[in-house]
Amino acid sequence: MLQRWRTAPLLLVGLLSPSFTLAGPAFENTAIVRTVELGGSLVHVSTTYAVRALEPGQTVYQIALGKDEREKTSWIEAKVKGQQTSLKVEELGGDIAGHLLAVTLPKTLAVNGTINLVLETVQTHAAYPWPERAAQTDPQALKYGTDLFILSPYQTQVQRTKVKASSPTIHSYTTPENVDEFVRDGSVTKSGATITYGPYYNIDPSVNAEFVEKHQQEVVVHYNFDYPVLEVKKLQRSAEISHWGSNLNIQDNIELRNSGPALKGQFSRLEHQSQTYFHTQSAHVVTGLTQHLPPGIRNAYFYDLNGNVSTSRLRTTPSVPKNAKSNQYSVLELKPRYPILGGWNYTYTLGWDAPLEDSVSWDSKNERYIVGVPVMTLIPGAVVNEAEVKIVLPEGATDVEFLSPFPALSSSVSTHTTYLDTTGRPAITLEYKDLTDKHTGTIYVSYKVSLSAHLKKPIAVATAFFGVFAFALTARRVDLRLHKK
Amino acid sequence: MDSYEAIQALHKSLPPFSPYVPASLLPHIALVLLASTFALAFYSSTLPKDTLPLRETAVASTASILGGFGVVALFCSVGVNV
Repeated sequence: MLQRWRTAPLLLVGLLSPSFTLAGPAFENTAIVRTVELGGSLVHVSTTYAVRALEPGQTVYQIALGKDEREKTSWIEAKVKGQQTSLKVEELGGDIAGHLLAVTLPKTLAVNGTINLVLETVQTHAAYPWPERAAQTDPQALKYGTDLFILSPYQTQVQRTKVKASSPTIHSYTTPENVDEFVRDGSVTKSGATITYGPYYNIDPSVNAEFVEKHQQEVVVHYNFDYPVLEVKKLQRSAEISHWGSNLNIQDNIELRNSGPALKGQFSRLEHQSQTYFHTQSAHVVTGLTQHLPPGIRNAYFYDLNGNVSTSRLRTTPSVPKNAKSNQYSVLELKPRYPILGGWNYTYTLGWDAPLEDSVSWDSKNERYIVGVPVMTLIPGAVVNEAEVKIVLPEGATDVEFLSPFPALSSSVSTHTTYLDTTGRPAITLEYKDLTDKHTGTIYVSYKVSLSAHLKKPIAVATAFFGVFAFALTARRVDLRLHKK
Repeated sequence: MDSYEAIQALHKSLPPFSPYVPASLLPHIALVLLASTFALAFYSSTLPKDTLPLRETAVASTASILGGFGVVALFCSVGVNV
């Protein structure tokens, strides 16, 4: 089932807040474990709720997120532990105390029935560089803050939060205060690269202002991060479908930014070359990107604002038929014109052609074509702030319908005119924001193109040719001689 | 309108797109058609000038239609997939 999230302003929904905080004692959490995997632009949070029903006939379980946490979260998925299908999640809105989500359970729970639910979320722009400026040879350190307690509208017997960093170098972490009534041993422990906050026992329903005011606090972890923190400020993808050429062209215009610590001092090319030579590359310098492109692509191009960038290598794999399940992909190693230091931007265009047979199918029953266009090509570890996907259909396409894998900010249909067009082609534009590595879905578009629409192009060119011939016909019969004898 | 999963499953199971003209043949078709267009255009220029230009128009129309398809095939074979 498809999960849904809305970006409606909390202000509007906050007007409905008084009804939410009274969930009633329908469930009890026997244990909640939250695992936070610290990253650069993206932070993956996985929370497991071990739930016991206290009243019969329960079908909906409410999960709470802190207000700041909900604002930073851009992917929410709920599942039963161990299963693959997602459960239906509905946003109930929230206020200062917390933001509620209603998860529909797969089957009704009887009294004392138990179930383990896993909520997976991805937060964007949650970690920030600290110190904010770093010299070329300095290490990269980030700070991440989260709420100490996992809020829940039900009683919780025990809960703990594990914060995992990618490297064991953790500079500092907050020690919680005023939590003695929940603590038996220690309130926080560190082991290697994992910091465990908890276990905290016997927490009352906490989605109310008094708990948040009295006990909820922010804990901040300051850790080293050994990979570049990348952010795509804007991604413009355009996919053009050509039936005559049997080709799908995909072009990405990307504004890439290194949102690690800003460069302090000057960029030293000498220092950079010696780092590359001795393989002691700084974590926050981006010298190249590896992208996995679809199999069977050809005619790939990579240029930036100055012109073609030749420092790239493409290794293609042969085309894979549409129905085949395959893990094959082409590898493109991009090397920007200059290394991207902290705070620097790089704008480039990457495009390729792919056979249309791999992406478009023909539905003979309804006489329509269905095309699947991926939303984006993943840049590992990067967040995409704004994305605009434009799918250009062949000229004369009618009955256009489209489905996005996750809700888009906006969608519109316009007319796009390109080579040999007379009336222009329908183009669908979908806009998204805060895309993460979980947002790599496919947009499906179904459209119909009749034979006469297909023939529009050759007829248009033929008409132009005939115009020239008609002019020649009349020109032959006009006598422009000056002296008629 | 179907649900997302339904369209996804349908897309996987349906036969792939097949063009009217196979893409690998396009350069050759372009060459043949445009050569014929040129030949017919030349021929139409040698025809006698009648009061009612029936023959000229017929040859010119054939040349135009062949040229129309030839130019589309030419564009696709050089990479401008129209």
